[in-house]
Formats: sequence, structure tokens, C-alpha cells
Amino acid sequence: MPSDLDNQIAQLLRCEPISEAQVKQLCLKAREILIEEGNVQVVDAPVTLCGDIHGQFWDMMELFKLGGFCPDTNYLFMGDFVDRGYYSVETFLLLLAYKVRYPDRITLIRGNHESRQITQVYGFYDECQRKYGSANVWRYCCEVFDYLALAAIVDGRVFCVHGGLSPNLSAIDQIRVIDRKQEVPHDGPMCDLLWSDPDDIQGWGLSPRGAGFLFGGDITKSFAHNNAIDLIARAHQLAMEGFKLMFDQSLVTVWSAPNYCYRCGNVASILELDEHLGQEYKVFRHAPSDVRSVPAKRPPAEYFL
Amino acid sequence: MSSSASLPPHNVTEDDGVRTIDVAGWTISATTKAIVTASESDALQKTLGFPLPEMTFGNNSLVLKHSASGWEYRFDTHEALKCVKNGELGEGDGGVKVGYADAWLKSRTDPDSSSPMPKTVPTKPYDWTYTSAYAGHCSSNPDIASSASADPTNPSHTIPLAELTRPDPILFYAEIPLYEDELHDNGSSHFVVRIRVMPQCIFILSRFILRVDGVLFRTFDTRIYHSFVNSSCLVKECSGWEAPYDKVKQFLPGRHDLSPLTDANFISKSLTQLPKSLAQGSGAGTGWRALGITTDIIQLTSSSQT
Repeated sequence: MPSDLDNQIAQLLRCEPISEAQVKQLCLKAREILIEEGNVQVVDAPVTLCGDIHGQFWDMMELFKLGGFCPDTNYLFMGDFVDRGYYSVETFLLLLAYKVRYPDRITLIRGNHESRQITQVYGFYDECQRKYGSANVWRYCCEVFDYLALAAIVDGRVFCVHGGLSPNLSAIDQIRVIDRKQEVPHDGPMCDLLWSDPDDIQGWGLSPRGAGFLFGGDITKSFAHNNAIDLIARAHQLAMEGFKLMFDQSLVTVWSAPNYCYRCGNVASILELDEHLGQEYKVFRHAPSDVRSVPAKRPPAEYFL
Repeated sequence: MSSSASLPPHNVTEDDGVRTIDVAGWTISATTKAIVTASESDALQKTLGFPLPEMTFGNNSLVLKHSASGWEYRFDTHEALKCVKNGELGEGDGGVKVGYADAWLKSRTDPDSSSPMPKTVPTKPYDWTYTSAYAGHCSSNPDIASSASADPTNPSHTIPLAELTRPDPILFYAEIPLYEDELHDNGSSHFVVRIRVMPQCIFILSRFILRVDGVLFRTFDTRIYHSFVNSSCLVKECSGWEAPYDKVKQFLPGRHDLSPLTDANFISKSLTQLPKSLAQGSGAGTGWRALGITTDIIQLTSSSQT
């Protein structure tokens, strides 16, 4: 007989939200599991790496159809599950239910959108209010966000993080001592891991925005060398072709939200690492519009002034 | 009101992301395609000299062509981005930093900082907010038309809001995004052009809208109105608005839900509700040169009246 959790997974797979009481229970159990994980979660290959999802539930179903469903396939999601898409609630809760049901078959690391402050602006808060009539579900989820790992390492050779590197973290071991159980701070190494970007520069650069770092190919290669890794996999930036290799293939951006925001027209990808860490990028398109039940492609005519 | 009886003859076609209407001596084409590919992005970045917005709809455009005179006016992504300041920002450019920039820098430069600043290399200076006071551009021989400041006492030199509020049938509607960037989750920068062709007129709203979280809101609107009744002139109104973040935030209906701050209509309405001396005068104290309203009349000189 299927357990309650299996029933919830089945329900969420149909993109139907579970009850507020069930969310509360699920988040409690998830925290118990996540608190045992290190800041840098150790993962065994084979594993499939995924980038930003951003609440595009039906597109995530396309991802699972291509890559296999959990637990048949071992997954590592590199953050930004919520915001912007129409189904952040169902998307995050399904991933969380998988995590609780199959803790060793799915790894979730934190993206910069897994934050109270960001979700209040970019849609997740609003969606929880709309679907549950209160902010409780948002609050439970935010508490889980604080427990998510900051990075992962696959077979000691592939380093996975949402944003990028930090000038204050030259060794992976230095990440392990961060106190991660907090809202994403505005500065410091934890912030850098979730926010920084690679750029065609040498060394470290300051973002023209006035905060945040850009890191060059030399920084990437010396980090890889010092930590004996082959590849840095990260998400965080839209890639029209679904992924983007940089710095002599020492870094890759993986993007898993096809037709981002339902209007970019981009394809998405997942990166399958086999048991020898061989890389295969699998590209996929967005779900056909008849199953996505999202607003029509063309906006309705409006009497704008 | 039997508006259907007075519909002008028109023809709408659609082909591979290009929608076109022929009406009253005009051919209007709206092109909406996907964001640029990696190779298109590299090429465009090279000509512009700064990193592109995250979503650059490099092939999108709105083109109006007046058949009788050959006059053509165009909105496109490339030209919109050419109006973004490339290089060090100076007076009038309205440069800003993210809200926590000072605190961030301090956390890195304090003598007892736990995460001291590394040695950094200079990065390319450019306006990371992608602020653009682009109002479209003439893409035909400019001599076909002349442009002059509107006469505020002449009612035909204004955009007739009463006519535009009337729920006449919309013959053609298009929303054409030129670019968008979420500023790395520090706000958002959008450039969108919209058009509606009505039984008696063409109306365009091109809008740049910027939110920098905790810092400011800024918009630059271009409205173009053309009445089929007076087929040789167009009214073009450009307006720049700006206000500190909290001045707009005070219009929020609820305390916790900040999502209206991502809604262009909410932002522009809030800005117009603020005193003019603020939203079109002192702004957010950035010294941005595009604040204020200018109205011009574009007269198609060699137009043959039909």
C-alpha cells in the first residue's frame, strides 16, 4: 500500500498542491534530513545535474521525461527552484517530497532565490498567498531554504554550486566551516557562492553594480587545480543553448528552464555524469502549451495608455 | 455606437514571428522572436562593447511605414541598447549602485574584515541598469518628415486620451519586448514596445522601466499617436520619471506583498501620482538628464493626402 508520502508525490506530479498541514509535516521531515548534510554535500556518480527551474513545473516534467524520474535517476539540482514561473509551490514541494522519500537519490543545493527577501519580490511569496490564503507555506519553505547545502562534490572531481567562486574560499574545506543556517547574507563567502559569475577577465573583478564578484579563467583553473577537481558546474545564468562551457571546459553553466519566463524561446539542458564522470548534455524544449496551462503565448490586447 | 460599420479596410498577416497590418496607407510590422543565440549574442556584444542584458530579444522590432511618403519609423533592440551608456558614467547619465553596495564594500575593506577584498582587476564600466532614453528612430530618408515642438495651445498637438480610452475594437495589437534584465536580482530593467491600431488611429507606447531594489524606480515612456483623420502628422511625447524606492513603495496596498513593485502599470501610475517636482524634477537624486516631458509633432512633408 502506498504511503502518505507516495500519495503526496503522486498528487504533486499532477501539479496539485498538497494541504498546508502536509506541507508543514513535509518541511519538518526535510529539515531533519538536510541538517545532517554538509555544506558541501558528497554525491556519487552517476548523477544528473540540473540548473535553474524557476517554478516551471511542466517544463520540469519534460526534464524528468528526458532524464528519468526519481528515484530511477540520481539527481542534483543546483538551486533556483522557485520564483518567476507559475508553479513554484508544486515544483519545490515535489522536489522536497522526493528528497524526503529518496534522500540518497536527489540532492538539492541552495540558489540565491531560495531566500526570504528574493521570494517576496519575484513571485513565490505571492503564489503561496494565492494558493493557500496565507503566508504559512511560504514561511515553512523559507525555513527549509536555510538548511539547503551550499555546494556539492561528485566523486571528489566535479564541484557544483549555484553561482560561483569566492575570493575568500580557495579550498573546498573552507566552505565546510561556514554556518549556513541563515538567510542568504548580502556579503561574505556564502553570498559569493550563490551570486558570483564567471567572466572573460583574468583574476577577480568587481561587478559594475557595486557589489559582488566576477571571476576569470585563471581563478577557475587554479581553484580546480588546488582542489583536484576536473569541472566546476554551476547554474544561475541563462544560456540560450541550455549550457555554456567556458575556460577550456573547466567550467560549465547548466540551465534547465526552457522558454524561460514563458517567453525567451531558449532550450534547456541537463548534464548527465556517468560512473566515470563522462559528460553528456541532454537538451530539451519546453512543454507543449496544451499541457502547461500557462497564459497564451501572445498577450491579450490591452487598452494601454 | 456602431463602430463596426466604420472600420477602415485592413489586412493582417502573420509569418514566422512577424505580424503585419496594412491600414489607412500604413504598413506596420511587429517582429517578436526568441532571445539571441549564443553566436548572435557574441556578435552584438562586440558591436555594443558591453555585456548584453540577460534577455536580449535582438531580432525584435516594430516598423511603421507610410506608403505614400516612404517615411519609416522603427523601434529595435540594437538601437535601444546603443542608447545605454558604454564606459564610465558621468553627469546626467543617472548612474546608481545597488542598495547594499556601501555595506558590501565596507564588509570587504574594514581592517578587521573576516572576508577581505582580494586584488581585483578593473572590469568594463557601463550602465549595468541598461537605462535607455531611446524613443525609436527614423529609418528612412529623414527629409521626408520635419519635427517641431508641439504647440501646447493647439489641441491637435496632444494625445487625445478620451479617444484612446474609448473601447473601440482593436484591429491590431502587439507587445514587443526589446530587452529585459533582472539586474542579478537587484531589481529589473525592461524595455517593451506596445502598439494598438484602432479604427481611427495608431497608438504606440514604448516603455523603459527600471527598479533597483531599495534605491529607485525610473521610467522612460515614448508615446506616438497618429490619427487617420489627419494623415500627415504624428504626435510624439517622451517622458522621463524617477523617484526614490520608498516613495513608490508607499503606494503598496499590503505590507508584505512586494509583487506590485514588479508591475509596470503600478510603477508608472505611482510615479505619476507623486508631485511633479519630485518625479520629474529632483527624481532620486541621480541627476538623470531624461526627466521631464517633451512633445513633438512629426509632419510628413511630402505626404500626398489621400
